Amino acid sequence: MSTLFAEPTRAGQAAGHGRRTDHPAVFLVPALAVLVVFFFVPTLFNFVYSFTDWSGFKSDINFAGFDNFSSLLGNGSLLNALKVTLIYATLVAVFQNLFGLMLALLLERDTWLNRTARVLFFIPVIMSALAVGYIFRAILKPDGSLNGILSFITGLDVSIAWLGSTTWTILVAALVHSWKWMGLSMLIYLAGLKTISEDVLEAARIDGSSWWQTFVQIRFPLLAPAVTFNVATALLGSMNGFDVVQALTEGGPGGTTELLNIFIFRTFGQGLFAQATTMSLILFLTVTLIAFPVVRYLRKREEVL
Amino acid sequence: MKKSLVRAAAVALTAGVALTACSDPGVQDPSSPTEGGGSAAAEWPAEDANLDGVTLTIWAAQNSNKTADPVIAGFEELTGATVEVVTIPDPYEQGIQTKVATGDKPDLAFWQPTESQLNALNATNNLLPLDGAPWLDAMDPALKDLTGFVGDTRYAALISTPAVQGVYYNKEVFAEAGITETPGNIEEMIELARTLDADGVTPFHEMAADRWGTQWWVQIQLANAAKDGLWDRVNANEEQFTDETIMTAINNYKGWIDEGLFNDDIKTATFEDQGDALLAGDAAMVVQVNSFFGQLQAKADTAELDEKIGFFPISPEGNVGTSIPDQSNAVVAFKTGDATQEAAAKQFLSYWLGDGYADFVQAANTISLQPDVSNPDGVPQALLDVHASLADSVGSMQSLAVANPDLYINLADMIQGTKTPQQVGEATQQQFAELAKALGAEGF
Repeated sequence: MSTLFAEPTRAGQAAGHGRRTDHPAVFLVPALAVLVVFFFVPTLFNFVYSFTDWSGFKSDINFAGFDNFSSLLGNGSLLNALKVTLIYATLVAVFQNLFGLMLALLLERDTWLNRTARVLFFIPVIMSALAVGYIFRAILKPDGSLNGILSFITGLDVSIAWLGSTTWTILVAALVHSWKWMGLSMLIYLAGLKTISEDVLEAARIDGSSWWQTFVQIRFPLLAPAVTFNVATALLGSMNGFDVVQALTEGGPGGTTELLNIFIFRTFGQGLFAQATTMSLILFLTVTLIAFPVVRYLRKREEVL
Repeated sequence: MKKSLVRAAAVALTAGVALTACSDPGVQDPSSPTEGGGSAAAEWPAEDANLDGVTLTIWAAQNSNKTADPVIAGFEELTGATVEVVTIPDPYEQGIQTKVATGDKPDLAFWQPTESQLNALNATNNLLPLDGAPWLDAMDPALKDLTGFVGDTRYAALISTPAVQGVYYNKEVFAEAGITETPGNIEEMIELARTLDADGVTPFHEMAADRWGTQWWVQIQLANAAKDGLWDRVNANEEQFTDETIMTAINNYKGWIDEGLFNDDIKTATFEDQGDALLAGDAAMVVQVNSFFGQLQAKADTAELDEKIGFFPISPEGNVGTSIPDQSNAVVAFKTGDATQEAAAKQFLSYWLGDGYADFVQAANTISLQPDVSNPDGVPQALLDVHASLADSVGSMQSLAVANPDLYINLADMIQGTKTPQQVGEATQQQFAELAKALGAEGF
């Protein structure tokens, strides 16, 4: 096999990594090509088109300098969408991890009941996000089933518009998003909990540590890598969030759940392609600016391990 | 080793760049055969010309994907062509604009024939001009040139009666309140609403949760101004959404909502709720367009609708409707660069509005636009009234403004309490200016 790839073999030997011969780096090329064509090039064009006047209305694309940036920054909608996105991302990061961790602790022991429950809580993760949004939209409408259940229990006529508040709807949307993804966090926390050495826990038990003390002093700090992964993915996933909220509220009521991606979608749909591209560049930069420090901080926490 | 990797990456990158070469793929190569309405495009083939082996694709929305079926059956039998309807999911307009922008085009599509929406498809580059179409002489003269133009060029074929913004009312509620005559202008209508409100009847129903209906209230108030050239001035940036005319309409709307003339659940009510409310008599009036009546038809039969539901057009100075043709009312044909396909697409339209029109009108149970083709029996009276109001109607914002800003979203925000009327005007103007600039309109 290695004779087919003479050059990498030689290169591998020259660099002194003999083991490279059985998995030459040239194997990376197909994956890399896909990555370049479908990720790097579009990202590059995202930068390029932001500085043009590309639209659905005319044929030619001209360089427009910082025109798109200045008109967008002067537009309150963009700042509002950014604010909404950051609040949403924070709420999702908190709820998704809280729920995931609680589930992991609850379902930690390997009984058949717990195994079944884990599967059930994982189902929303593999559901279509749009389907989740539409289902909750139906459940939460004023004459939906949640109010029906509440009416039945309380004996009163409950008709709360769960998605109608300009203050609280974003919280509801974040809870729905967290509900969808909490199964994944649960799985990763479960894996993290399993890696904690039985010896350490036994030592704590012998020292008379309570469940809570063991959790706060020992288990949670040892979960640091899982926390890093979960917080980072939840934060980044929700900053790029679109599907759940689009299906749930379409950005309403009154624009209070209009995530940046929904705003981009709306602008693109208007035919203002360059403006939409500029917004996605701004989103890209925002995510980068927030993601790197957060991941760095979380990695630092892991250093105690 | 490293070098070969770098080389491979460079090759892939170049290929990627070449694939996405820096031009708008939705735009035709100027050397293509049909550019500028060349001779092939200007000719209209006979309705029954043989089209064996030709496949036409029509894009349709979820509510228009059955519309063409009776025509397709007749056309396939007559010509041997195959016609495929492809349903584009909602939001339909955004989906199509995106596809066309990336170079994906059908032969035909249902499309709103207003100037702003034809512009959104870059009509001059992407659509076949339909000037001199054989069916035009058969059309009702009052409707023939109502819509479908960009500048002086016709790009859309009107197939069914265009929607009109007006007032649908519950006849039983009016009768109970002792009202025998429908109001003659908006002022009278508001007076009537106050009387009804005092009697404990909800005068108007609005659906701010679904948002899109909110704009009708502003547009009906602008009918007379529109006749006096309001939208021409807006198009030239001589007048803005924040100026007195449009701001007054927005402020009035807000005032009437605050006064309590609308349903209590205005913030959470949906399009569906609106239909139920009017049919049940929970509200007396709804300002809406034809698709609202379509919803009522799904909920009740013609006899019940004739008994319960009436329609009158309204404007500040009389019973004038505001026409707003929508996607289900018209069809456009695309410049695909293939002369055979383009000719076949035009032939299909000729058949639809020619020999196939009578079958279409019957099957769709809709009002005929051609005096020689009679209406089917059993068209509800309200729909006939809507159609009758078309002749002296004025164009809507969508018809007369060069761009179609999200006025409805901003108005829905106002109802939810997150925007003031002033902010509605500002946000709408901002977006309109952005769109007009992208369109290359003068003055922006």
